[in-house]
Amino acid sequence: MENIIEVKNLTKEYKNLKAIDDLSFCVKKGEILGLLGPNGSGKSTTINCILSLLNFSNGEIKIFGKEMTPDAYDIKKDIGVIFQDIAVFAELTVEENLDYFCGLYIKEKEIRKKYIKDAINLVGLNEFKKFYPKQLSGGLLRRLNIACGIAHKPKLVFLDEPTVAVDPQSRNNILEGIKTLKEEGATIIYTTHYMEEVEILCDRIIILDKGKIIATGTTDDLKALARIEEKISLEIIELEKKHFNNIKKLKNVEEVKYDNNILIITYKKGEHNLIELIDYLKDNKINYDKIYSERPTLNDVFLELTGKELRD
Amino acid sequence: MFYHNFKYTIKTLLKDRTLMFWTLAFPLILGTLFNMAFSDIENKEKLDIIDIAIVNNTYFEQNEIYKKSFSNLESKNNKDRLFSIKYVDEKQAKKLLEKKKITGYLKLEESSPKVIIAQNGINETVFKYVTEEISEQEKIIKNIFEYKLKDMNSSNSINDIYNDLYKNIKEILNSNKVQIKDISSNNLSYTMIEFYTLIAMTCLYGGILGMVAISKNLANISNNGKRISVSPVPKRELILSSILASYIIQVIGLVILFLYTNIILKIDYGNNYLLIILLSLVGSFAGLCLGTFISSTFKVGENTKTGIIIAITMVCCFLSGMMGITMKYIIDKNIPILNKINPASMITDGFYSLYYYDTKTRFYFNVISLLLFSIVLLSISMLSLRRQKYDNI
Repeated sequence: MENIIEVKNLTKEYKNLKAIDDLSFCVKKGEILGLLGPNGSGKSTTINCILSLLNFSNGEIKIFGKEMTPDAYDIKKDIGVIFQDIAVFAELTVEENLDYFCGLYIKEKEIRKKYIKDAINLVGLNEFKKFYPKQLSGGLLRRLNIACGIAHKPKLVFLDEPTVAVDPQSRNNILEGIKTLKEEGATIIYTTHYMEEVEILCDRIIILDKGKIIATGTTDDLKALARIEEKISLEIIELEKKHFNNIKKLKNVEEVKYDNNILIITYKKGEHNLIELIDYLKDNKINYDKIYSERPTLNDVFLELTGKELRD
Repeated sequence: MFYHNFKYTIKTLLKDRTLMFWTLAFPLILGTLFNMAFSDIENKEKLDIIDIAIVNNTYFEQNEIYKKSFSNLESKNNKDRLFSIKYVDEKQAKKLLEKKKITGYLKLEESSPKVIIAQNGINETVFKYVTEEISEQEKIIKNIFEYKLKDMNSSNSINDIYNDLYKNIKEILNSNKVQIKDISSNNLSYTMIEFYTLIAMTCLYGGILGMVAISKNLANISNNGKRISVSPVPKRELILSSILASYIIQVIGLVILFLYTNIILKIDYGNNYLLIILLSLVGSFAGLCLGTFISSTFKVGENTKTGIIIAITMVCCFLSGMMGITMKYIIDKNIPILNKINPASMITDGFYSLYYYDTKTRFYFNVISLLLFSIVLLSISMLSLRRQKYDNI
């Protein structure tokens, strides 16, 4: 499949700090690539370098097969960017903001009008067309921010943490909108530190830490990197020491933690772990509540690879 | 795309209430306050003839230029009579000053004339200005005289030299170069001076418009700048259309101020409309360049930048006489270079020269100085504005 973005040996240094360290990756046409990493891992810096906003020490960036430069207007016309920070004009209404930003790409008024209507529908801002940004809630403002970045129907979209600090309803709306963009054929780079979003949206994921790629692949590929296969957590009031030790000895158990009346058991591999555990609890007349069984998450993968949590 | 950005820049600037307050409403409010505060003083002082004394020593007796000039300015036949003069010795002059019978006295010495005053005020300033102007005339005449004396050794006859010298001095005295226009109480007024500085302030406040308009295009300054920078519109097109939009709003603001002060407040700006327009346009451009400079070189928030422009403008206007005309005189006298680089002084001085001097030399000097000031700031700004990629954003 055609490469839309090719990044080769990208390195960006701030004085003595390497914000991006020899990064190489590509993005295929029509896919959603997730850049996952904690704050400060280099996600936004990577995007800003790709967009030719930031100088970089070394590397090569190609978009649509051509070298990306600040003057590459033929490339820029097909790119849409949604930055982490809200970038709209407080003095313009929702509709005017869209008209301004879309107008930087689309000259023809009639086409622009249609595109703006589509963008408003996509993010669900129909009732708020005449509202000023300060009259919108945080979530609606985020939606406007997204609409301004994609109204001109770009072929390549960069979304840099678009769901930071939004309510669940807006988040769902935004995620649905991104899925629609993909269905319409857009190629998307999506950065976030919310692993759930990446799991829902992305075809392929790159996990970044300290400016380096530490893992790459599909969700399943990455989860396979984790040593654990299942995690069971349950609430038990005052678990005796002997039971704690006995649970440790159950089949496939990797680690057991008991803290604040919550017992967390991680399993290496195997099946029927939950049944075995429940049997043990019943046999020993141990009362329990709120029991959950989870597959390993990308956070577990990250924890395994770096020794720290994604949201640290 | 130029028109698209131009149109929306106008829209965003006009809808920015803080911006409109500082650039449009504030000058109107201040103008109204000036008018209320100074019109009474103006009426009281309008017909006053300034009482002064001149120390009647040998230096004065022998100085024809001073004698003739002051004689003319105190002549009862002169409809623009400015002074009532007592010719006394220094002791008496001091006594008169102590008793506040006179505004000040003039004492000619070998080196330079001394104006002795007891306090600062409009009359004292007028007295000092007039003396300075006469002193300037005297210097020019002396220079010509010395230059001609050097020619004594040439082949010309003494008569030729004297004739030539007489002709030159006559030309100088009749020329517009140093001649003071009628500095009568009708012309020199508190109100006018305050309104000149008000115009200067409005021109410089226009810098806030420029600053806001430019900031929105710069990726290292604003979030909108980041978004706009990744669009397929060349940066120069965005910057130029934004500058033009802010300049037009600034000029509209000035027109409103002129109309309001002229029609409602009855401020008479004279008849030199074209030159007034020229100075206002150049002054506004200087303000715009100041805003562009601050926008592109200071990496701080927009509110801080607005604060910086307001602070710079107020200091410049203060030094050019907004809070008291004597300040302009003090700066002129002690640190003249400060007024030469102060854009507010250049603007106010341009207006002074239109009203108080027949000559246009000083006016054009100020216009050129303002243009140079603008070019310097714009050149520095361009170094930053030309950048398309940044080390950090």
